[in-house]
Amino acid sequence: METWYTKRAVSGVRPGDHGILPYSGPEERNRVMSTFMSDALGNNEKVVYVTDTEPERLPGIGPRTKLQLHGYTETRQLVVVRREDACLDSRGRFDPDKLVQTLRTELARTDDEGYRAMRWTTDNSWLLHGRIDLSQVIGCEHQIAGAVGPSTMVMAVCQVDRRRCPPDRYAALQDTHEVLIEDDPRFDDGTLKIVQTYAPPGLRIEGELDHARQTRFAEELAQICLLPGPVHIDMSRLGFLDLGGLNLLVQYAADRPGGDPVVLDDLPPNVASTIDLIGWHRMPGLIRGRDRRAGGEVI
Amino acid sequence: MGSLEHRAFLYDGTEDFLTGAVPFLRRGLEEDRAVVVVARAVNVAVLQEALDDCRNHIEFYQSEKFYEHPVRTLNQYQYLVQEKSPRRVFALAEPVWHGHEPRQLMEWIRYESLINEVFGDSGASALCPYDRVGLPPAIVEEARRTHPLLLTAGAARRSDRYVPPKAFGAGCDRGLRFDRPPTAEYLPLESDDLHELRAFVGERALAHGLDALAAGNLMTAVNEIAANALQHGTPPMGVWVWPDGDELLCEIGDHGFWRPESGALTGFLPPETALQRGFGLWTVRLLVDLLELRPGWDGTFVRLHVRRNARPGSHGDRKL
Repeated sequence: METWYTKRAVSGVRPGDHGILPYSGPEERNRVMSTFMSDALGNNEKVVYVTDTEPERLPGIGPRTKLQLHGYTETRQLVVVRREDACLDSRGRFDPDKLVQTLRTELARTDDEGYRAMRWTTDNSWLLHGRIDLSQVIGCEHQIAGAVGPSTMVMAVCQVDRRRCPPDRYAALQDTHEVLIEDDPRFDDGTLKIVQTYAPPGLRIEGELDHARQTRFAEELAQICLLPGPVHIDMSRLGFLDLGGLNLLVQYAADRPGGDPVVLDDLPPNVASTIDLIGWHRMPGLIRGRDRRAGGEVI
Repeated sequence: MGSLEHRAFLYDGTEDFLTGAVPFLRRGLEEDRAVVVVARAVNVAVLQEALDDCRNHIEFYQSEKFYEHPVRTLNQYQYLVQEKSPRRVFALAEPVWHGHEPRQLMEWIRYESLINEVFGDSGASALCPYDRVGLPPAIVEEARRTHPLLLTAGAARRSDRYVPPKAFGAGCDRGLRFDRPPTAEYLPLESDDLHELRAFVGERALAHGLDALAAGNLMTAVNEIAANALQHGTPPMGVWVWPDGDELLCEIGDHGFWRPESGALTGFLPPETALQRGFGLWTVRLLVDLLELRPGWDGTFVRLHVRRNARPGSHGDRKL
């Protein structure tokens, strides 16, 4: 598992971050972008969005922002730049230098416009389809990283639709970003963190899950268990799971409509050995999923 | 499935052993039962020789590996019974009685008694050999109290000293002593958040020589008992930790008055699923080497024993 990057919840994005947001569907993208945009617009920060989508249909534009949209574009707090103006040459081909220049130009104006920072975002999925030379895209990202990294005013988030992008191209693109952006945790008290995951659908639980945090976990579990198909609990960063937590997992797995399982991914060795000792047959509805530690993929 | 036939076989020497064990096992084969032998290495050897013509139809296990931890052993027998179902099991089951501390020995005797409850309607037949020549008379005497049926000198009969499991367990609990040295370290439980408790227990577990797995198991166990105390107990409550010989002891106490519904069987009977009542306490018994429960007028005290010299992770299920 690669660990070179920093995982950052979207509301923690800070100047100098050159982040990638790999999303697995409109729901995930909308949730993350909604936080990204509203954090900017509510905090005197400017958003530059390179896209051919109309402002009112941008991902993450909620009803409240929509009402004030005209004001935001008028004052250039929200700047929507069409691709042909931002990064295509006169023959309609991708022009990396032009994209970087667009960023630099918008950045240079930010201070004068009275905004304390600039958030740059665009969906890069179209660049990964195959016809465009990947090395051009990579080179462009390196330049953007060079512009963003040292800055105390700009943060950039490149969106990528994981489903539409070949894995090798995605991996190459991800390599050019230092920060992996994800949805804000559903819960985080410093001891336990619960993050919703989208591909596969489920939850990632980090830290320690015990008696004091069970109610919150149960609430999130109840929500996620309503989804159709198997749901996955990513335990790769779980330090402690108490027996009550195990009991909750079985309880909600047993109540799932359609009898779809709850899959436990990357079980920490101590939790795995406890369940082995108890016996998986005493955990109806739970199955063991992938184990990246062991290098094998079970599911 | 029918009721259990649980018989202690009190024998004198190898010849007598074979006179009782061989016909029992042959009868199992004739009745097309799943025939299993769990015996000490020396008895496995003589049985394999005596049953040479049919040894391939019998599963042999060595007691020295099968009987390492009472709760796990019972669990293992349950697997066996489930795995063989719908065939009924015919088992020669010989525990290991040597090399135990008195407290651990009592736990093994108690488990002989629990067999009657856990496998009560499994339809299994178990013949448990007791070597009257090699074993202390007290152990043989207990066998008459934990087995409803006896086989001695070729004669099968009821044991008139048999005590049902619940009453037997209550007797074991009455003998418990709960002394605690003044040097025991203490952490009061004052909030719902058990993070600090886990750190407290984890640090001491490692410092006293438990390996990471055993330390983790102890943390899970203490956490469970403490969570129960917080939920159902009465303050003040807290946790003591101290080393005692080659064991690390950990005791969780609160001042609530708890009368467990299932009495002396509380947490001993394996639950069918994690959703069943008693799952937590049973799992704690599985995770530590010994659990002692004292619900008294002055509060409820749960004492956990863990061996400090780590044992290999074998679960005793190796087939021969």
